[in-house]
Formats: sequence, C-alpha cells, structure tokens
Amino acid sequence: MNRRDSIKSIILGSIGASLTMKSCITQEDEILLNQVWEYNYGRTSEELKWDYKVLTGKFFSNNELAAIDKIANIILPPNENGNIKDAGVVELFEIIAKDFSTPAHNEYGEKVLRRGLIVFDEICNNRFNKNLLDCSEAEIKIVFDKIAYNDNKDEDLQEAIRLFAVYRGMVLTGYFTSEIGIKELGYKGNIPNVWDGVPPEILKDYSVSYDKEWIDKCVDQSKRNEIAEWDEDGNLIT
Amino acid sequence: MEIIKSKKEYDVIVVGSGAGGGMATKILSDAGISVALVESGPYFDPANPEQQTQLKWPWESPRRGAGTNRAFGDFHMSYGDWSLDGEPYSSVEGTSFKWWRSRMLGGRTNHWGRISLRFGPRDFKSKDFDGLGENWPISYEDVKPYYDKLDKLVGVYGTKENMFNEPDGFFLPPPKPRLHELFYIKGARKSNVKVMPSRLSVLTKRINNERGICFYCGQCDRSCSVYGDFSSSSCLVIPSLKGGKVDLFVNSMVNEVMTDNNGRATGVSFINKENGRDYKIKGKIVVLAASACATARILLNSKSKAHPNGLGNSSNLVGKYLHDTTGAGRGVFIPELMNRKTYNEDGVGGMHVYSPWWLDSRKLDFPRGYHIEVGGGMSLPQYGIGWNPNEFNKFFGLRTGGYGDSLRNDVKKYYGSTVYLSGRGEAIPLKENYCEIDNNTKDKYGVPVLKFRYKWSDYELKQVKHMHDTFEEIAYNMGGIPLGTKPTKKDNYGISVPGEIIHEVGTTRMGNDPKTSVVNKYERLHDVDNVYVVDAAPFVSQADKNPTWTIMALSMRTSEYIISELKKKNV
Repeated sequence: MNRRDSIKSIILGSIGASLTMKSCITQEDEILLNQVWEYNYGRTSEELKWDYKVLTGKFFSNNELAAIDKIANIILPPNENGNIKDAGVVELFEIIAKDFSTPAHNEYGEKVLRRGLIVFDEICNNRFNKNLLDCSEAEIKIVFDKIAYNDNKDEDLQEAIRLFAVYRGMVLTGYFTSEIGIKELGYKGNIPNVWDGVPPEILKDYSVSYDKEWIDKCVDQSKRNEIAEWDEDGNLIT
Repeated sequence: MEIIKSKKEYDVIVVGSGAGGGMATKILSDAGISVALVESGPYFDPANPEQQTQLKWPWESPRRGAGTNRAFGDFHMSYGDWSLDGEPYSSVEGTSFKWWRSRMLGGRTNHWGRISLRFGPRDFKSKDFDGLGENWPISYEDVKPYYDKLDKLVGVYGTKENMFNEPDGFFLPPPKPRLHELFYIKGARKSNVKVMPSRLSVLTKRINNERGICFYCGQCDRSCSVYGDFSSSSCLVIPSLKGGKVDLFVNSMVNEVMTDNNGRATGVSFINKENGRDYKIKGKIVVLAASACATARILLNSKSKAHPNGLGNSSNLVGKYLHDTTGAGRGVFIPELMNRKTYNEDGVGGMHVYSPWWLDSRKLDFPRGYHIEVGGGMSLPQYGIGWNPNEFNKFFGLRTGGYGDSLRNDVKKYYGSTVYLSGRGEAIPLKENYCEIDNNTKDKYGVPVLKFRYKWSDYELKQVKHMHDTFEEIAYNMGGIPLGTKPTKKDNYGISVPGEIIHEVGTTRMGNDPKTSVVNKYERLHDVDNVYVVDAAPFVSQADKNPTWTIMALSMRTSEYIISELKKKNV
C-alpha cells in the first residue's frame, strides 16, 4: 500500500461513521484527503486523524477571513520580499482556530481569534460607524495607532491591545515560518553540511577568536570518515 | 475474557525498548539468548520516510510546528509527552509531578538531548561527603568498564579534561563552538565558571559502517535518519532484530508480571492496543525497562499470594525515592549579536560547549551541584518566531509594538541575539517523594494508574537560587542583559516542576539491604531471583549528570550478569 492509500485507510477506518455510511468517497472527501496528503511530515495515525479534523470544516466566515486578510496586510504590508498571501497567513489563522481546540487551549479560536475581530469591529463602529471590513486603510490605521503600542495605558483599550498583539504575533509567525519569510530572514540551515566553525570573517567582525588549545581538540573534518580508534588511554589515533 | 497464551518460553522478556531495554536486548540477543521485547508504542525507525521529521520545514506542518500534538512541537520525535489520552495520572493535593511518556520503539532516546555524562567516583558515594541520601552499593570502578565499552559501541564526543568527578572516556572529537558559544565561553571564564566542550552521543566521526556521520542539521531531537546520533531504536533494537533471536511485540502494554505459587516470575501479560486483547507470554527471566515510574506501576500492579504488596515490594519502597533533576533557566539578550550576518550555524542538535559543576558544595548553603547548558543561535524558525518582534526595543528606550513594514526589520534585527542558560542539578532523593497506585482510577485499558507526591526541599530551592545568581553574573560578563526578572523565594526561585526535566529516577532503588532497597547491585529484585530492572528505577541518586549513559552502562552490566546466570543454569 502506498502512503496515500495508507493514509486513506487510516482516515476512513477511523473517522468512521460519517464516511463509512456513504457507499463511496464523495468528491468532497477526496479533496479533503488530498489536503491531508499535502502535508507529509511524519504523522502517527492519531495525529493524521487530528489533522483531518483541523483541515476540514470551517471556523471563520468568509467575511471574517476577509477582515483577517485586511488586518494582516496592514500589519505586514506586501513588499518585494514577500506578502502575507504567499506566506499563507490567513489560512494559518483558520487552521490555528481549529487546531487550538484542546481543553488546554481554552477555546482559543473563539475567545482570542474571533474575539479580536469583534473587539476591532467595536472600535471601528464607535469611531467610524462601520465594521472594520468597511473601513478604509487610513481609518483602520487610526484605530491601530491606538491599540498597537504597549505604552497606551488607556484602560478601556487594554483588551484590544492584548488581542492586537496576538494578531501581530500570528501574522509575523505565519510569515516567518513560510518559505518566503524564511528566505527573507536569511536562515541558511536545515540542509546537510559540515560545520567547521564560525566563518573567519565573522570572527573578525566580532573581534573573537578560537583558543588554539580548544580548537586543537575539535574534529578534523577531513578525517571524519575514518573509523575511530583509540589507544588504551582513550586518545583518538585515527 | 479470552486470554491468548503463547506456548513458547523465552529465555528473557524485556519490557520497554528505550535506553535500558534496548541495551539489554542487544547484549542478550548478541549472546544467542532468545528475547521477547515488548514495547507499548508502535515500531519506529528514524530512517523511515513515513515517520521522519528531520529536515522538514515549518510550513510542511499545517500549524507551522506548533505544539498541539507534541509538547515540544510537531517535529519533535516523541510519540507522547506529559499527557496521553486515556492514560491519566494525578498528584496529591498541594504537590505536582509531570510524567513524560514516549510510547514508541526506542522510547525517549529518539528525542533526548544526547548529553552523555558518566557519573563520577563521588557521585556513587555522595553520602560519604555530605551525609545525605544513600550511597550506591557499587562504585565508579564497577561501572567504568561498561562506560568504556559504551563509549566505543555507541559513540560520544568530548575532550579529556582530567577533572575531578567528571571522568573522561573514549571520545570522538567535538565540534567547534558557535558564535554565541564563544560569547558564553568569554562570560563564563570571566565569572570563574569552568567551561569546556560538551559531551554528546553524536557521531562527529565514523564509528562503524552501519551508522552515518553527523551532517549538522541541529535536529537530534527529531532522531537522525542516518543514525548519526544515538537512539535505542536505530542503534540497538533495529540491528538486534536482524540476529533472529528477538521477537518484537509492539503496541503492547505490559500490565503485570506473572508469578508462580513460589512467587517466581513466569512471564508477563500485556494488552495489545490494536485489538484490545490480552496476551500472556512466558519467560525464564523478566527484565523491566518501562521507565522508572511505569516499571514501579507494573510491579505494584503485580499482586499475588506470594507478593500481596506488589512484586518486589516487601520493603514497601517500590515507587519511593522518586527524584528528577532540578532545572532553572534564563534568557540573555546580547546587543552585540543584533543585525547578524546569517550563515548556517545549525551544528549538532544541542550545545557544543557547557559548564560542568565547578564549585565545592561544602562551602555553599546547598548540597551537590549543577551544570549549565547553553542554547541560542540563528536556529530554524518555528511557530512562535516574531511573536514579540521588537520587545528588546525597551532596552534602547524605543517603543514596542506597532505595525507595518518596520516589523520585518525588527524580526531580522533581533534574530539570533538571544542566548539561553539552563541549570540542571542534583536533587536529594527523599522517601516522601513517590508514586503509588491510585486504586480509584483506571486507564482506558482498565489498569490502575499512578498517583504522585513530590515536593522539592530547601536543598533544591537554594540550589536553583544559586543557579540564577550565576546566570546573571555570566549574562553581564558576556555583554548581555538577562531577560525577565530574577525569580524570588515567592516563586520558588523559578525551579522546574518535578518531572519537567524528564530525568525521573529512583523508584526501585539499589542496595545491599533488602529492607532499605528494592534491587541488588545487579539490578535484580531482592524478593525474586528472576526479575531485573534496567531503566533508571534502580538509581540511588543521579548526580547532575543526565541519566541515559548510566542507564545503559548498568543495563550492559546487568545483561552480562544475566548471561552468566543463564550459563550457570542458575535460572
């Protein structure tokens, strides 16, 4: 059985009732299966079942998703390096809302993410008599200027300030865990390589150096493939 | 209910496939002894692409690696963490214990930090120095030959330092320090804190043709697909299966050791988690390696006419003297490390340098010592990165928060500028800290669960207070600013919750006197001559040294003893 079929059997075998009562897999189920299939990251069968749950169903309404998209684009406007659309930030809001649904998460989707939209709407309504989605970017920025900074001590705005911080966190974490975000960050690892110390020019930049005594004991990468042998006192001789 | 019995009688049944059980399986089966290895979780091989998480990117997880299903994030290689569905445990009111369970072939050795430290001569005889706790009935000299064999068999990098109580071994060469580690070296030396290359079971050099060499992805916690780090699954159990002497039972939860009318063990019973049915298998010898608390639970649940108090529990000490490593940590912001030029500094999974215990506790207000672990660097982003993109602005009198394009630069500016210092110390084992059977609660398999009672004493609290003083001093000496506020007495000096460091040991402690200990110096139950314990349950104390290396050395020693007993037909 190939991976896709084994995932299918795990999911069909367990999600059970709703699917097995159908005579065959509907096109919709097929799409959902493909969605789980898209993520290939070493899941156990229990985890696959959880992912299936998280990747199916709908938490936010289309209007709410549009509002999140608008907010996210103001928090992190697109530029030549990348944008929140390519980083999948709005999708991440939807997934996290369904994923953070264990008792320990205390209804994060409802009490934090959706609550954020409600509170931002309230402020927009008080100020401009319309929901956030209907406000112009300039109007939204007037609101954000009040709730985006931690030094605003206005008691009436503390909840909004806390929730805005979550939205900012979600947008940035979504961006910088995406392919384009990691590229922009400049992270160079997660790839087989041979570490042979800090590049000399970097050592120079920071005016630091390796002790000779220390470095002499470190691995000689040209001999890493020679099988280790020791003398009886534990001195490496290969 | 129908119970399925196998007719075959194994020479040895090993319960659990982690560090202790994996080693016993290898040593015994290599000697031609037939072994039934019973593991509560599924088969796991880090080289299996279906199970592999190594080299995955955060976006390959729908939640970007967040810790919903795995406490340390989606890519961390442990099936199970401090909570398991349908398998609860509790703590006595006013106390707290967190119990980590990795249910998979290889157990916790798939995710562990690979810190591989030998206990020193003093660690086996601490009572002689401070009058606290109990001495081991064996000494460093008894274990040294096994540490030596282990170094060569499994591989560990490090350096010969000739330091008192930090024995050297047969080391592979260590990797060079990273940039933030050079800052740590500078700060630690200025604070008169010893600093040296770490000792990790990662292959910086080839040790045989079966295992690959480290390719520096920094992800040992995901278990290495080329077997470049040590996991019991990849390096002990899977090779042992090829010898034809091992029958592996996976997804099989052992609930009881069976005994005959004379009280000797005859085998084990287990529940197959896939079909829910009960099985019994027979063995001449039973070796328990389910992890300290799970082993205690099996023993306490193995009640019979001959052992009304649970198997091996005539002393009433099974479950007692439970102790975990103490832990405390502090982040340090290093302004000099802002705006870094990026390059690949993943290195090995974990620190390249650390500080072993460097002081004499007779001159301090707490017994025993701790070591300091160092983390940091430009590591692979995961869920959470950028959450407070510019909180360090506060150190420059700048506003924090905001929105807009400047946030991109804030994240990049502070990336890789934080160093984490973690203290890991030795606790004094107390009889009053224990796990016991909670007769009112059963798990989803119908087996009574554990209840814990664990409280730190003043010794541990004073120790972590000292850790925090040291962290601050080193932080300033490395040109950094310690983050947050230093915890005070009110918050127990920020000490970890017992169990959080995942070094719980001591529940069947070793000794010569059957009244004050559960197993003898060969890890055999005093009460029954054919049941052994080779996980961390026999530990009398655990130094500030991570327990895995000693679990394996002792398991090797016990396994050789079992081989000699079988040869002498004593069993």
